[in-house]
Amino acid sequence: MSVINFEFRNEVLKHNASLSYCYQCSTCSGGCPIALITKGKYNPRKIIEEAILGLEDQLVEKQDPNPWLCSTCQKCVELCPQKVELTEIFTLIKNRCFKNNKYPEAFYLQGHSVFENGIAIPYSKAIVARRKTLGLPEIKNAPIGEIKTLMKETNFEKNILEWNK
Amino acid sequence: MGYDLFLGCVIPARLPFLEVSSRKIFEKLGIELHDVDGFSCCPDPTGIEQIDHKTWLTLGARNLSLCNSNGGIISFCSGCVETLKGVNYSLNKDDEVKKEVNNYLSKVGKVYEGKTEVKHFAQVLYENLDKVRENVEHPLTGFKVAVHYGCHYLRPSEIINWDDPFEPITIDEIVKALGADSIDYELKMECCGNPLDKSDKEISLQMIDNKLKSIQEAGANCISLVCPACFQQFDFNQRELSNEKENGYNFPVFYLSELVALAFGFKPEELGLRFHRVRPKELMEGF
Repeated sequence: MSVINFEFRNEVLKHNASLSYCYQCSTCSGGCPIALITKGKYNPRKIIEEAILGLEDQLVEKQDPNPWLCSTCQKCVELCPQKVELTEIFTLIKNRCFKNNKYPEAFYLQGHSVFENGIAIPYSKAIVARRKTLGLPEIKNAPIGEIKTLMKETNFEKNILEWNK
Repeated sequence: MGYDLFLGCVIPARLPFLEVSSRKIFEKLGIELHDVDGFSCCPDPTGIEQIDHKTWLTLGARNLSLCNSNGGIISFCSGCVETLKGVNYSLNKDDEVKKEVNNYLSKVGKVYEGKTEVKHFAQVLYENLDKVRENVEHPLTGFKVAVHYGCHYLRPSEIINWDDPFEPITIDEIVKALGADSIDYELKMECCGNPLDKSDKEISLQMIDNKLKSIQEAGANCISLVCPACFQQFDFNQRELSNEKENGYNFPVFYLSELVALAFGFKPEELGLRFHRVRPKELMEGF
């Protein structure tokens, strides 16, 4: 049985008050390319419904529907007659999933790479050579100390990288 | 005047050939792009933002704080543009969050002021469409282009604030100015599926397969787009799909800057078109 978590609901509302405008018309799901392909298994309207009801367990633990299937195409945000900022709300839910250690591996790898290199894709030797062949300038990336300091300040290292090891 | 060039990660570190044509066309147009030291990942709106929103805002604000050019920032990547515009939007509407982010930035001696304008390279091309037309030396006759706008070039419209979110015209107009035809197709405004590559490869491939089918039915002979994530999906994964099928697709995928460069008279060899997975062959005759 699902348990209502008011604290979770208030957290979402505090992050994005537009959640409370939703009247469940399902325009979002009607326009969603992933809902179409998964025959409704992925369903943005249902994610919003669960957030309104504060069903944290359903969203973060069971991930039903799975918020990681959102392609962030932002069609639902444009189409919503109530101006609910759906992708912003999904972002908060995914942030919560991350803290609870429930996420696709590729996301962790990207976070780790930015922490270690300042960029999502480190420059391989082959690419550096290819850039030279193509006559492109050398790239001077962010000083990594600065990036690490900031990612420690926001607790990215502590909450995200350490917890999820 | 001129712009500070924000390269991001995917183009310079994985698809550097796309950077070649992009740099060349702005040089030809006399629009100055300045290289800036010290940018980090934008960070990725489909990656880092989904892990931790606050970190996304903070690193984005740091990047914006490094800009010195009057024109602001130009980027060749729709994801970077969405992030940098999105960070500006979020911080300018919420003083509390702005204060918090500036407090983090103060630890590394940076200040976010919120005055940096951000533009996509296709926007700058459209704003200089007459100049683009004047520089066409080799019109792209016979190019039947399926334009793919990509989601983050347009939406959310309140943040991007450029072109129409569902009935855009800017890239079609640029393609036509080069002498090519823009071919309409049913799934033109659908997502390419690239972000799903991180969470469900099967759905991601299904999405690009549907788009390619629609492009095939419409009778286009090539594709043009303005985002490196979309480029990988259309070029790399088109190859992957075609290897599994009997009658595979064979659509050359041109970055908009590559089409512009070809029309400006640059040669395919100097643009690095050989690094595409789907090699543009027939269309390159006469170039």
